[in-house]
Amino acid sequence: MTTWLRRIWHLLNRSRRERELVREMNEHRESMHDPSRFGDTHRLLEYSRDAWGWNWLDDALQDLRLGVRGLMRAPAFAITGVLILAFGIGLNLTLYQMASVGLLRPPALKDPETLARFRRMAPNSSTTTIPYPITQVVAEDRSVLTAVFVEAFAGVVWGKDLVHIPALFVSPNWFSELGATPSAGRLFAEGIDTATSEPVAVVSHQFWRTQLAADPGAVGRTIDVNRKPVTVIGVSSREFTGTDLNQPHIWLVINQREHIFPDSPLLRDWNSDGVDMYGRFTQGTSPAAVRERMRALMAALHEERPDAVPADEWLEPAMATVNFMDPGDRRGIVTALSILGALTTLVLVVAATNVGNLVLSRASGRSRELGVRVALGAKRSRIVRQLMIETLPLAILGAALGVMLARWASATIAAVGGMPESVSFAPDWSTIAISLMLSVVTLLVIGAVPAWRVARQELIAAIKDGGQQISINLDRARLRRFMMGAQVCGSCLVLVLAAMMTRTLQRVLSNDLGFEYERAAILQPGLGRYGYDDERSIAYWNTVKSRVDQHPEVAALSIALAPPLGGRISETHFNDAPRLEVISNHVEPAFFTTMEIPVLLGRTFGPGDDPNASVIISRTLALAMYGSPDVVGRGFPRSEPTATIIGVVGDAHSIRIESAYTSELYRPLRNEDYVDAILIARSRGDAATLAPVLREAAATDSRILPGVNLLRDSFQSRVTGTRIASAIAVSTGLLTLLIACLGIFGVVSYGATLRVKEFGIHIALGAEASSVVRLVVRQIVWPVAIGMTLGVAAAGPIGMALTGGPIQLQVADPAAYAGALLLFVTSAVFAALAPAIRVITSDPVHALRHS
Amino acid sequence: MPKTAGLPPGTLILLILRVVQPGPLHGYAIAQRIRQLSSDQLSVEEGSLYPALQKALANGWLRADWATSDTGRQVRNYRVTTKGLKQLETEQDDYQRMADAIAAILEST
Repeated sequence: MTTWLRRIWHLLNRSRRERELVREMNEHRESMHDPSRFGDTHRLLEYSRDAWGWNWLDDALQDLRLGVRGLMRAPAFAITGVLILAFGIGLNLTLYQMASVGLLRPPALKDPETLARFRRMAPNSSTTTIPYPITQVVAEDRSVLTAVFVEAFAGVVWGKDLVHIPALFVSPNWFSELGATPSAGRLFAEGIDTATSEPVAVVSHQFWRTQLAADPGAVGRTIDVNRKPVTVIGVSSREFTGTDLNQPHIWLVINQREHIFPDSPLLRDWNSDGVDMYGRFTQGTSPAAVRERMRALMAALHEERPDAVPADEWLEPAMATVNFMDPGDRRGIVTALSILGALTTLVLVVAATNVGNLVLSRASGRSRELGVRVALGAKRSRIVRQLMIETLPLAILGAALGVMLARWASATIAAVGGMPESVSFAPDWSTIAISLMLSVVTLLVIGAVPAWRVARQELIAAIKDGGQQISINLDRARLRRFMMGAQVCGSCLVLVLAAMMTRTLQRVLSNDLGFEYERAAILQPGLGRYGYDDERSIAYWNTVKSRVDQHPEVAALSIALAPPLGGRISETHFNDAPRLEVISNHVEPAFFTTMEIPVLLGRTFGPGDDPNASVIISRTLALAMYGSPDVVGRGFPRSEPTATIIGVVGDAHSIRIESAYTSELYRPLRNEDYVDAILIARSRGDAATLAPVLREAAATDSRILPGVNLLRDSFQSRVTGTRIASAIAVSTGLLTLLIACLGIFGVVSYGATLRVKEFGIHIALGAEASSVVRLVVRQIVWPVAIGMTLGVAAAGPIGMALTGGPIQLQVADPAAYAGALLLFVTSAVFAALAPAIRVITSDPVHALRHS
Repeated sequence: MPKTAGLPPGTLILLILRVVQPGPLHGYAIAQRIRQLSSDQLSVEEGSLYPALQKALANGWLRADWATSDTGRQVRNYRVTTKGLKQLETEQDDYQRMADAIAAILEST
């Protein structure tokens, strides 16, 4: 038994051991002729305790008891302190958890270090999807990849009620390469689930639970997908996330896709949008080697099929270990997150500082008590320890509540943001480690700094004057003013950023998207899946258009290639306007009327316009490229014209609503666009009346199961993310404001209480109320002013750095600054004046008599 | 640690270990033995024995067991452990060295 174990054993049995010792000593005493020579039993017991080395623990427990008792006597202080700390710690943990789930933690997949997603790259452009035939050519080459597998998202309808659900078509080896295991039945397997075998599906755990009523006999059941029978062979495990957070309800085998979408050319078409491609590296192969091999493969394909594969293309791997993200994108996001992390840490420091200030105020009020302790022989380290341990309950409670808060907040954000159930926010070891670290930092700020500060004072002198001098010293202490300045700085910064975010959201929400979305609806039949060619598509659309047009509710309609507020984005950069992302769309002449995008100069398309040689550009693009909107008739793009500008239209953000640096470009619809095209219709009244009209018109081909959605719904779902971010920012901003005001209030009011005698004399001698207020408030003016200046000055650069990540911010927004400052100054003035007014309205004689 | 009148500092434990070396003794008996062996020269506050005993227990030099004494009373007998014997040896050596050194100084001149 080592010494330490023996000591711990003793500690655990201490009361029994000590009873025994007392009994033993008493026996000894009674046996003596002269018991007085034995000594004081109590003192000897104390020395015996010393021998076991547990006295420090007793002292600590005693301090803790004292602290808890003190907190219970001041419940308002305790609750405020705990809430402030819980908020500070909770905010940090929430951000950390969201970031770690979304970005930092690699997906829970088998061997992520050899797994990559591929993007198709050309010198000036990139696409995330790759035509299926190309992926099959890559799959046959085994030199750098041991396996290639693909996935393609699609909406299907399920059951007799034709409910739309998200589906993912995957290669048969998809599950095994990702290392998934089923919770029931089996998953797809190569060689078993082939194009010709019976169509099968794997359903998600969530789907099985909610839609199949957790039916234990679900495996083997036949369900209808797109009105075709499909056998369920398995249920995914609850934890399985797939390759990203967009989880389908059902997985289907891509080789069997034509069973669900007959005549779909996806698997044969070299020019289609294609599929997401993943590959498993052979052991020890570097991404660079894979990239070079892909370049060679694509060059060979270019020789073979120059129409489908242009020269100079390659496939770029992005590793699973970095969440399949492009290194540049990831760096941007990590930078934005680090800044957010720094901000939330700042909020925590502000919060802790505030509690620290409160503790300091309380401690300085107790200088007489501490003075007595010093006089009785307590060392300064003992005083610091006492003050620190007294704050321990605050820190512990704050941390515990913070962890709960973070769990709740992450779960709420996940639920609102539509994250799949499989995403777990249960705190892992890293979360716990981080919360512990945060608590220690907090404890140091709220406990150690004020304690050290108090203990440095001449505490014994406090006994003589009742702590007057020390109180005044502490009240004027530089540290206290610095702490308050820091918290003012932090809360101003957060407030300005929150104002920027809110303003950005407001801009998105207020209808300056440049087009009308409230009364519009979209019909997406997906003709390609049903084997339509260009000619049949045009005929189909003509029928549908005339059927829709006949309806009295329909005010305007147009066909376009990319759906407004939809996901399909094709963007280009022009050397003539390098800072602008240009998003292009192919549209019918009536598009601008339907979308209510004003034609500013020139005209819309006409029947004679060559689809490859005429463009309509938006105002921002005209200004960026030519410096003037008056560009009708000029060549486009400016330096190497391939087309003529026939019109300039108002700025619309029809495709990507969040981005401030985008512009749109329109070309006439080509014959080959009709297969993938969509129809936009605008109603005279409520857009909801359009849905049955569009569905009915689309049913001119009874096989087609069209997607119909209202633009206002798409808009709402598109702004959810920004809305959440903004809500978080605003609540954070308001809470930090509240904390800062509490801090100001606390400092001023405590200062006023401590110096009540001094103010009493001033008032008794007939000082003006305003001069007394000045006296009370004077000490905080400079720290507040400097803190505000620094906070506001930092907001610009930090906002700039945040933009370009996932958050869009308009930094140069005077209204945001002005609003935030006004709010802050007003609140600060109230917080500072409230205690000052209490001083001048109180009875000075009363104060003098009682101090 | 209490001051033990008449004892050089740190020697109490040495004496206790030496006294219980031949066989287990209880607290009162230890005090008696020390007084006896020193022919009443070393007078200590007897209670100060107990903190020293606790220190020896904490360090694992002694072990204690309850037993019934010859007079029929419940007493706690202390016995020295192997670790205690080693400690006794060290302390004895240390003490011897110190005593020799002091003696050498006193016998000079």
